[in-house]
Amino acid sequence: MTQPVEIKNVTKTFRHPMKVWDTIEAVKDFSFSVQTGEIVGFVGHNGAGKTTTIKMLMGFIAPTSGEISIFGHKPGNREVRYKIGFLPERPYFYSELTAMDVLKYFGKLSGMKGSNLIDRAEKVLRKVGIYNDRNRKLSGYSKGMLQRIGLAQALIHDPELVIMDEPMSGLDPIGRREVKEIIRTLRKDGKTVIFSSHILSDIENLSDRVLIIENGVKKSFGTVREIIQPENIKYSIEFGCAAAMKDSAFSLFKGIKVVSDRFVIDCENIGDFNSKLSAIVQKGYTIYDAKGVYPSLEEIVFKGSAEVGHE
Amino acid sequence: MNRIFNVSYYTFLEMVRNKVLYILLFFAIFIFVLGIAITQMTIGDELNIISDIGLGTIEIFSTVLSIFLGISLVQKELSLKTLHPLLSRPLSRAEFILGKFFGMILLIVVEIAVMCFIFAALLFVYGGIDRFVGYMPAVYTIFLQTSTIIAVAVLCSTLTEPAVAAMLTISFYLTGATSYNLVYAITSRTSETMAKIITALRYILPDFSHFNIKDNLVYGRGLDGLSVGFASFYALFIVVIVLSLAIIFFNSKEIN
Repeated sequence: MTQPVEIKNVTKTFRHPMKVWDTIEAVKDFSFSVQTGEIVGFVGHNGAGKTTTIKMLMGFIAPTSGEISIFGHKPGNREVRYKIGFLPERPYFYSELTAMDVLKYFGKLSGMKGSNLIDRAEKVLRKVGIYNDRNRKLSGYSKGMLQRIGLAQALIHDPELVIMDEPMSGLDPIGRREVKEIIRTLRKDGKTVIFSSHILSDIENLSDRVLIIENGVKKSFGTVREIIQPENIKYSIEFGCAAAMKDSAFSLFKGIKVVSDRFVIDCENIGDFNSKLSAIVQKGYTIYDAKGVYPSLEEIVFKGSAEVGHE
Repeated sequence: MNRIFNVSYYTFLEMVRNKVLYILLFFAIFIFVLGIAITQMTIGDELNIISDIGLGTIEIFSTVLSIFLGISLVQKELSLKTLHPLLSRPLSRAEFILGKFFGMILLIVVEIAVMCFIFAALLFVYGGIDRFVGYMPAVYTIFLQTSTIIAVAVLCSTLTEPAVAAMLTISFYLTGATSYNLVYAITSRTSETMAKIITALRYILPDFSHFNIKDNLVYGRGLDGLSVGFASFYALFIVVIVLSLAIIFFNSKEIN
C-alpha cells in the first residue's frame, strides 16, 4: 500500500534576502515517511524548517534536491489534492464572505456539490464550533474563529491526509482542547494527520511519532519513547524497612533521601538501577516502587537546544 | 471550467460586497450629475455633451476600478495567504489566474451595466433615449479596453507589490491612451528614419485608438474606418498574450 507521505533526501535552499550571491539551506537532507492513520507532529524553533517542509509537501515550493511522494505522486498532483486537507499558519479568509460561503467555495473546488456539500458544511461547522456564526461575514470574526474556519475548510471534503501548520495557534484553552479532540477523532476515523506546533505538550499528547527539526536538520524522528536517549531516563527506587534497620539502610548507598517514612534512591543508569535493586532485595527491605522516569518532550527539546546554543 | 467559474464567482462576490466599490459608484453618479450642471453652462448640443460625459465617465470609472482592484487580485491572496488553502485544492495555478481574471471581468460588466442604466436614465430625461442603442458599440469597446487593463493588472499582480503593479498598469493605460497621437506628433516633426522606427514601435506599444469610437458615435461620424471586429480581435490578442505570461510567471513562482 502506498504511504501517504514519503520524503527522501530533501534539501531546500533559498536565495539570501540580503546577499544575492549567498544561499540559505532551510531544510537539509531530510528523509522520513508517514504511515496511514498515524499522527505525526513537527517540533522545532521558529525558522527551524517546519513550515518549509509543510510547503514542500503541499507543492507550494519545490525542493532543491531530493524526492517527495504524496500517496505515490508528486506534491501538487491534482488527484492527490482531492485527498489532502490543509490548514495554513494564521489563516485568513475573504473578509466579505461568510463562513458558509467559504466552505461552499472550497467544497466546490474539491468536487463537492448540492445537498451533500451543504450537509457536510453544516456538520463541519458544528464540529469546529462556529455553526451559529455561519452566516456572519468573516470580517467580524476573531482570530480564534478564523482558526476554526481554517480548520473547517481543511476538513470539508473529508480528506485522507490532513496537514496543519500550527493548528492551535490563536486559540483559547477551550478552543485548543476542542482542536485536540478533532485531531483525535481524525485518528479514530483512520485519517493521517501531520501538524506542527510550538506547544510541546500538545505534540506529545497527540502524536504517534514526532519529528524534531533543528536548524533545518532532522534531529530525531520516532515515538516519544524512541527519541528519548537511554541516558535521559531517570531511575529511582522507593523502599522501606523496620525502624531498627534504618541505620544500616542509610549506609547501603550514598545519596539516600527520606520521603515520609520511606527511602528514595536515584540511579544513574539501568545498570546502577539493577544492582541497587538486587542489593535492596538481598537485604530483605520492602520495595514500594521502582521505576524509570521518562523526561517530557519539552525537556528533550530544550536540552538539545541548549547543546546547540539556543535559549 | 467549473473550477474557473467557482474562483470567478467568489472573487466577484468578495469584491461586490466591498464598500470601496460603492464609494466609487457613488462618485461616478456624482460626476454624471456634475455633467448635467455643466450642460447648463455650455453652448452646444445638450445631448452631445451629456453623451460625451456619460461615455467618458463609464470609461474612466471602468479603468480606475480595473486598475485599483486588479492590481491586488493575486498579490492580496499571496500576502494574506488566502492563496494557500486554495492551491491545496485540485485547482491549477492557471485556473486560479483565469478565475481571478474572469471574476474581475464579471465585476466590470456589472459596473458598466449599472452606469449604462444611469446614463440611459439621463438620456431619457433629456429626450435622447433613442440614441442609447447606437452608443452600445462604444460601451462594448470601453469594455474591451478595460479587459486589456485587467489582464495587465493581473500580470503585474503576479509579479510585484500592489504599489509597483499600480504604476506599471497605469503606465500601460497611459501608453495605450496616448501612443497613437504621440507617434503622429513625433513622426511629423522628425527625420524619415526616426519616423520609421517610431512607427514600428506603434505596433509593439498598446494602442487604445482602436477602442476609441465614442467620439465618432456621439458626433454622428459613424465608425469612420474603425472596426468593432478588429477591436475585439486586438483586445483578445492582448488578453491572451498577457494572461499567458501571467500564468507562466505564476507557475514558476514559489508560494511562500
